[in-house]
Amino acid sequence: MFGKTIKQKQYLLLIIGGLTALLLLAVFNKTMKVTSTNESCSSCHIHPHADATWMLSAHHNTRSGVSVNCVDCHLPPKDQIVKYHTRKGYHGIHDLYVYLTSDSAKIDWTEKRTFESAKRFVYEDGCKKCHTNLFPATLNTLGAESHLKYLRDPENTSCLQCHLNVGHYRGKAGLTGGEEVVSGTKVIHTAATEVRSFHTFDEKIPGTSVAFKMIAIPGGQFKMGTFADEPYRRADEGPQIDVVVDSFWMGEIEVTWNEYLAFFNATSSQGRKEAVEVTEINKTDAVSGATPPWGAPDQGWGKGTRPAITMSHHAAETYCRWLTQVTGKKYRLPTEAEWEYAARGGTNSAYFFPGSPKDYETDGFLKKIFGTDTTVINSYVYYSENSPSKTQEPDKVKANPFGLKNMLGNVAEFCLDFYDPAVYSKYPKALVKNPRGPRNGMEHVVRGGAYNYSAKDLRVGRRDFTRTKDWLVTDPQIPKSIWWYSDSKNVGFRVVCEYNKAILNSKKNQ
Amino acid sequence: MEQNQFSRRNFLSKSAFIGAAGVIGMNALASCAKKTKPIDYVFPPELDKAPDGQKLRAGLVGCGNRGTGAALNFLSAGNDLELVALADVFEDKVWDCRNKLSKQKVDVPEKNCFWGFDSYKSLLEVDLDVVILATPPHFRPAYFDACVQAKKHVFMEKPVCVDPVGARQIMATAKKAENIGLSVVTGTQRRHQRDYLETYRQVASGAIGQITSAKAWWLQSHVWFRTREEGWSDMEYMLRNWNNYCWLCGDHILDTHVHNIDVINWFVGKHPVEAIGFGGRARRLTGDQFDYFSVDFDYGNGVFSHSMSRQIDDCANTLGEMIMGTEGYTNCKNTVFNLDGSVKWKYEYPKTKDGKSTEIVAISPYVQEHVSLVTAIRTNKPIVEAERTAISTLTAIMGRTAAYTGQKVTWDEMMSSTMKLGPEKYEMGPVAMEFPVPVPGTQHKE
Repeated sequence: MFGKTIKQKQYLLLIIGGLTALLLLAVFNKTMKVTSTNESCSSCHIHPHADATWMLSAHHNTRSGVSVNCVDCHLPPKDQIVKYHTRKGYHGIHDLYVYLTSDSAKIDWTEKRTFESAKRFVYEDGCKKCHTNLFPATLNTLGAESHLKYLRDPENTSCLQCHLNVGHYRGKAGLTGGEEVVSGTKVIHTAATEVRSFHTFDEKIPGTSVAFKMIAIPGGQFKMGTFADEPYRRADEGPQIDVVVDSFWMGEIEVTWNEYLAFFNATSSQGRKEAVEVTEINKTDAVSGATPPWGAPDQGWGKGTRPAITMSHHAAETYCRWLTQVTGKKYRLPTEAEWEYAARGGTNSAYFFPGSPKDYETDGFLKKIFGTDTTVINSYVYYSENSPSKTQEPDKVKANPFGLKNMLGNVAEFCLDFYDPAVYSKYPKALVKNPRGPRNGMEHVVRGGAYNYSAKDLRVGRRDFTRTKDWLVTDPQIPKSIWWYSDSKNVGFRVVCEYNKAILNSKKNQ
Repeated sequence: MEQNQFSRRNFLSKSAFIGAAGVIGMNALASCAKKTKPIDYVFPPELDKAPDGQKLRAGLVGCGNRGTGAALNFLSAGNDLELVALADVFEDKVWDCRNKLSKQKVDVPEKNCFWGFDSYKSLLEVDLDVVILATPPHFRPAYFDACVQAKKHVFMEKPVCVDPVGARQIMATAKKAENIGLSVVTGTQRRHQRDYLETYRQVASGAIGQITSAKAWWLQSHVWFRTREEGWSDMEYMLRNWNNYCWLCGDHILDTHVHNIDVINWFVGKHPVEAIGFGGRARRLTGDQFDYFSVDFDYGNGVFSHSMSRQIDDCANTLGEMIMGTEGYTNCKNTVFNLDGSVKWKYEYPKTKDGKSTEIVAISPYVQEHVSLVTAIRTNKPIVEAERTAISTLTAIMGRTAAYTGQKVTWDEMMSSTMKLGPEKYEMGPVAMEFPVPVPGTQHKE
């Protein structure tokens, strides 16, 4: 008897529970229905212009008499049950909040009518639910072209781009998209950039469409060379010396093929006889540049903004002389001290970013098994782990503290100085001002790592040098080219522009 | 028959729906790799004659020799087919065509003969079911769209455009045609030629293994040209000499070589992703086009096709296609070879009374394509070939652009290129255009 009562109670509860659920569901459904009517929308959306413009629009004032309601565009289609309800919830709460907290008169309604805003509260699936045929027979050429593009690339195209004004009448506005204007014509610079103060600037090469960024590097003092205990240190990296360099500008990236080919196209010689080397004395004469290369100096990796490679040190210096001539500024290769100062950017460890070469180098038994975390180095440098076989376009890596990119990777870089492995010990023991290396020599300094170097050779203090004989070993011509190395693929260069305060000031006063 | 019809429908709906030229080929290749899956390369039966049914009235736009020929091909595709209207930009071409037709006992009412740039619009006013478009290809995209807007079935000659904008317009209009159930057949008759179809069936079922490379060539002596006559305006001269002006013809890499390119796209099962090529003008006398092209079409994954086209007398002139596979190769037309050169399979042509092979297919492919069109209309199983032919034409344009500019040209560039050839408006008179022969690259310094 007692047990029976409990059972009855349970039944009762069950029934009541069921009924309540049904009631709630009914209320919910009713609520959903009621809150989805146009009247419900406009009860909060106290912007009568929205109603008025909708009534005039092609979605209400139609020839067929079919009218499209608020929720048909401003919520996802109902058959997307989850998305419909979550978005309804979101918009409901958002709108209620705004209704209670903001003054509708102060809302910038014009801003809401832009494509960028409309994307937030118009659902394209709603468009496509009704507009199932994107290619009606009477569609015009522009429409056909645009809809074809939409099919090909739905990510970057949307209905609203062209049909922004179809839901609310904005006068005879027509399509908001329209034919793309393709700017196939490149701007040809008529003059180099005029520089009046010590700031980063974009240099323009006159007579071409080529421009490149020159970063202002304020001069300062730093320790050149590496600490004696730096991992993988080599003998020629020390002893450390105190150096001060003047301010200068340095190319944000290594000289690109675009830049180098502008030089080649302007100065190249016939190639049957080697061009005469130009000295500083006759620099007003037209610069006589490189002979035509054999084969593909870019190694087939692509030109454009990839760093120019395989040109000789002599060719790089001639480039600078030419650039000086066409821009009226003093361009040259960086000295080794300028290069290291710029590359360090105020840091004094192995790299300008966190981490030790020991962490990143993949030698050693354990690292070979467990690998190394290379996230940081990967974001700053193109090197053997992320680009083992060729140069890369320069802009994907992060810059150093001065804003320079690829100082330690992509390609190694020529410096102005002759190479001497013991040069640091030959400088005076005091503060050295603007050192320029030995007076004479055979080979030049090469600094910075390259796409095929591993972590230990990407260190800021790592020194290297040109190997003219080795780099020309397979050149089958006699005499061998003074312009192109046949056997070097990972060295390019970066330009610096000298900063002369006096000259700048005199220009300012003109 | 029922089975065939089902297969046909399957084939057609797929090709129409997905559109891309080669999907079928891809399916076929994919499925032959897994031998257990049924091979999806069933073709519509190539009937000798279209079935009887509703009377179909056709109008011809473009009354030159090919147009006249195409009209007669249409009329011989079945019973109750009529030609009831003619249109051409030149009046003399219309009457000339009408006279030729009347000799074949085809009489077109005089009131349905139209000429001028808008004559195609007048023709579309006539009570018609089918329009045959055989004008210079420049006009095809606009005319095709007008036909579909007027709800006409269309037979149109290849190439279907001369520039990327036109190609995309054809693609879009093809979708319109599909949406309203029209049928469109293009003049890539190899796709309706029984020996080619059977060879394709062999290749699709794995007769040469996986396709590794291809070549296609259309090397011939010089083609027709007109020198300017007194009294002809710029526009009249170019139109009468249209085969030699790029804005009208698209150059011969489109005009003729598109046939071979279309076959390679068909067999390989897709269009190339990029092209590098070259060409020049050695012997041509009029117009602004090249007379030789050599293009490397890259289909990705190491598969490429070498395309050659030339119109110069007294050279090694032949034409055809060849496709290499891992297990053999084929001339695409009628024979599959083993890698050692021995014949693995050969198409069996109809035989003469004394048992010798005729070496030609039973029904001329130029008629067969109209049989397909009329069959599709009368059995209400629409086919739309326009998109795949637009893809093959755009492939040829990609090759042409590569040769004209010296650049590597990609499919994506073609699909977004705004290149549109020709004058702003069409009227007889002087034309303010210059016609330099393209020169690739830039001049190096002296």
